[in-house]
Amino acid sequence: MSDSKNDNPSAESSSRTVLPDPEPRGYFEGESLTRRKVFVVASQALGGVAAAAVVLPAVGFALAPVFSRGEERWEAVGSTDDFLPETYRQVVLTETPGIGEAGKTTAYVRQGSAKYEEDPAEYIAISTRCAHLGCPVRYVQAATNFICPCHGGVYDFIGKRIGGPPVRPLDHFQTRVIDGNVELGPRYSVTNDLKAVRTRDPGEFTGGIWEYLYPPRPTTFPPPSS
Amino acid sequence: MKSPFSAKDQPADTKAEDALAQEAEVELTRSEKLAKHSKKAAHHGAEGGKDLAGWVDTRTNSSGIFTAMMSRHVPKGTNWFYTLGSATMFIFAMQAITGVFLAMYYTPSATQAYASITHLTNEVFLGEFVRGLHKWGASLMIILIFLHMARTFFFGAYKYPRELNWVIGVVLLVLTMVMGLTGYLLPFDQRSFWATIVANNITASGPVVGPYLADFLRAGPDFSATTLSRFYALHMLVVPGLMAALIGAHLFLVVKLGTTAPPWVRMARPKHARPTETVAAGVATADVADVPVADERAEETEAPAEDESDSGEQASS
Repeated sequence: MSDSKNDNPSAESSSRTVLPDPEPRGYFEGESLTRRKVFVVASQALGGVAAAAVVLPAVGFALAPVFSRGEERWEAVGSTDDFLPETYRQVVLTETPGIGEAGKTTAYVRQGSAKYEEDPAEYIAISTRCAHLGCPVRYVQAATNFICPCHGGVYDFIGKRIGGPPVRPLDHFQTRVIDGNVELGPRYSVTNDLKAVRTRDPGEFTGGIWEYLYPPRPTTFPPPSS
Repeated sequence: MKSPFSAKDQPADTKAEDALAQEAEVELTRSEKLAKHSKKAAHHGAEGGKDLAGWVDTRTNSSGIFTAMMSRHVPKGTNWFYTLGSATMFIFAMQAITGVFLAMYYTPSATQAYASITHLTNEVFLGEFVRGLHKWGASLMIILIFLHMARTFFFGAYKYPRELNWVIGVVLLVLTMVMGLTGYLLPFDQRSFWATIVANNITASGPVVGPYLADFLRAGPDFSATTLSRFYALHMLVVPGLMAALIGAHLFLVVKLGTTAPPWVRMARPKHARPTETVAAGVATADVADVPVADERAEETEAPAEDESDSGEQASS
């Protein structure tokens, strides 16, 4: 603390103005920042930049799969002659390659039936993934129903829920016919009126307000336009 | 300020005298401490270097920290229910140790995980035992946490000033359950696979954020090759690290705040409190009784005699 009065004895007699004692100390008049404050803020900012440089890529690394969609896969499951309109045939397809049995899933496939106002040239593939919590359902021909072993979910012949805890009809797979072979493609979910929507996880309602409460995820494929 | 009553209801001039006396007292204890320290140094040699333990102690005060942690005052009525927290921590340590050894044989790959588990269970020496410890320890840890929590709740030990420790404990409970969830997948048999599918779908059924959270857990729209390694990393790196840090904070607060007496141990009224002063004095006593004497004070003098729960026995473990 140098006092101008002591340093400069002529100050009082001369016309030079005497600076008032700064208040708060360390600040000059009109000053909003001290040197110390500037360095504190600057070093904290630098530290923040360094931390962000490490944290942001790490978080992005962990979150990336939420935003990326995999490759669209189509798999032949049999010739058109294998499937009839009045009953289902079980097929096994690979949904996720590279992880062996865990990447496989089953579907029930049939030809389109005039009884349900479907085109006989179309093929219907019903996913076995229960719309309650994802256990595998099986088709029971005697009852013409799909039945889930875990919590007793029951679906009718076209996959609509008729009993138990499931929240929507069974999912479908997209189908196409190439060179007389039926191929299954990406999965999609349906509303209670069998309108195709982007696939949802089991336990999520579809249609109406639920399309907003369970927003479609960027990892899923758009539904077929029908 | 040794006692909350010393400065009460006294004329101003004696108050000033008191302050002087207290200052002198503080000076005295400081010099006492110095003397103690130099005595210790003399015992250990000029730089406290006669033996390794002394050398380390002079530089870290580890014996002081040890004393503060292990021989702190505990209230009267402390009983076996107070060991449930230590028991939980013991199981956590056991899970950490057995987990490290299990990781030596485990392969976190969807095609090899089951085979590596079978190998370590059936062929590795003591493999079944170590895996069994880890498996049963997981259930035991959950049970112990709930017993520990029940003790804290029914003894009212979550109240001021220990609310933060309750909150930390609840976070630890949730993290333990996350450990259970992520560890369940690792054997990769039918049961663990489908349990994980179901758990993921329950996560997904939370409105708005659920679907994205499930995608994050699975690392994609379906169970994939990355899911298992993701669960493995969470199970053995992320969550245990968080838990160890929080257990440290939990213990620090236990040592800092002390433990509470069981509710059936009645709080004593200060001897000199007259009936007309009961209310004010009662409030002050409650504060003192709830916060047992911190270790430093215990070193300096005997605990103030007016409070029964403060003059409890020394914990021996």
